Amino acid sequence: MYEIISILKQITPFLITLFLWRLSMYFWNPAGILCLIPVFYYTFVRPIKNFAIFSLIFCFLIDYRGDLALFWTCLYCLFYAINGFQKYIDFKNTNNNAIYMFMAFIGTGFFLLTIYGFSWINLVNNLWLFLWLSILYTPITALDNWVKS
Amino acid sequence: MINDKMSYKLVRIIKSSLAAIAVPVFIIYIMVAKPDYTIMNSLAHVVLPVAHGVGSVITWPIRAIGQSANWIKETSQLRSENRELRAKLDAALANKYNCDIAVLENQRLEHEINVKKALPYSTVIADIQFDDSVFHHNNFLINRGKKDGLDKGMVVVSFDNRMVGTVTDCGSQFCRVRSLADRDTNIAIRISGSDISGFLQGNGKSKASVGFFNDTQFVGSKGLKVITSNISGILPPGIYIGDMVDEKNVDILRPNNISRVMVLQYNDVGSYK
Repeated sequence: MYEIISILKQITPFLITLFLWRLSMYFWNPAGILCLIPVFYYTFVRPIKNFAIFSLIFCFLIDYRGDLALFWTCLYCLFYAINGFQKYIDFKNTNNNAIYMFMAFIGTGFFLLTIYGFSWINLVNNLWLFLWLSILYTPITALDNWVKS
Repeated sequence: MINDKMSYKLVRIIKSSLAAIAVPVFIIYIMVAKPDYTIMNSLAHVVLPVAHGVGSVITWPIRAIGQSANWIKETSQLRSENRELRAKLDAALANKYNCDIAVLENQRLEHEINVKKALPYSTVIADIQFDDSVFHHNNFLINRGKKDGLDKGMVVVSFDNRMVGTVTDCGSQFCRVRSLADRDTNIAIRISGSDISGFLQGNGKSKASVGFFNDTQFVGSKGLKVITSNISGILPPGIYIGDMVDEKNVDILRPNNISRVMVLQYNDVGSYK
């Protein structure tokens, strides 16, 4: 029984990511973009072994669904590289599960996407997604703490 | 311990370096492979179905709930739509019935006009207003009177040219008609296809009595047709009254079986216009 619980705990991050990606929905979760939350969280804040490859795949899947040509994949790699080379900011010990870092991550992405094909509708859409992801970051990461406990 | 820390740092730097290298590689790939992205698409053709399939398995309860909510929503929409459509159908059916009635009325009026034109007499069409059958009397009122050229003594016939009665009183806008069934009715008749004449008397029933034939040997029988005779000079000859049902009774038309009649106009000297 303990082993089953242990296995479930180990696969929970993967399941959450897959779950959020699969429940893609117009307006609320376009292209399954909500899975960026576990992707960021389990890569930088609570790193899990081999999760980076998994995250890369899901960034790729978001790009493929959204026809974004490896945009989030590149951004993820860039953040991964920056995080690996620097020592000043420790994501693991940042308050609020590093929500500000997450906002910086998705904020950069949405900013670039906004200026790339600027239109007011695009701006509003990206702003909405930025706020929506930022709002959902805390409960989804709290879910991880609940599962661990 | 120090070796572990060193190896951890080394692995981290290698991973970061690989990630850093991947960025320009991806960017170059995007620039080079545009617009086909053959490798990327081929990879997606493998990864996407797998992820989609596994994702479908783990998200089915949520999707089932969502689907149920959609069904409930659609069902409620269908119900309200059904109610609206039923109301529209009822209105359309009511409209159809009105149209059917109008068509039938139109056919009837056309028939009446044709009958009126075919008759050799000047006629006035009238509606039966009240059927005042009481005891042995059988009168009814029609909605045409002196203003329409009607007068006392005129003959009232149905639209199949069958005699119904005679006008006994005439107001300005109505007339009282004595039907053949009335006990006071006593008119000259003739057996169609012969010279045998006689009289018909009402008795309050749907079968009037005939008698006083000019041929005392004559015995009536079922099926003989009885028509009016102008012996008295009051009635026009040859108006069909009814068939004999036995040797003394004739089946007559009573006003409760019809709603509209024609009045044959005639002038003071006893000849029809």
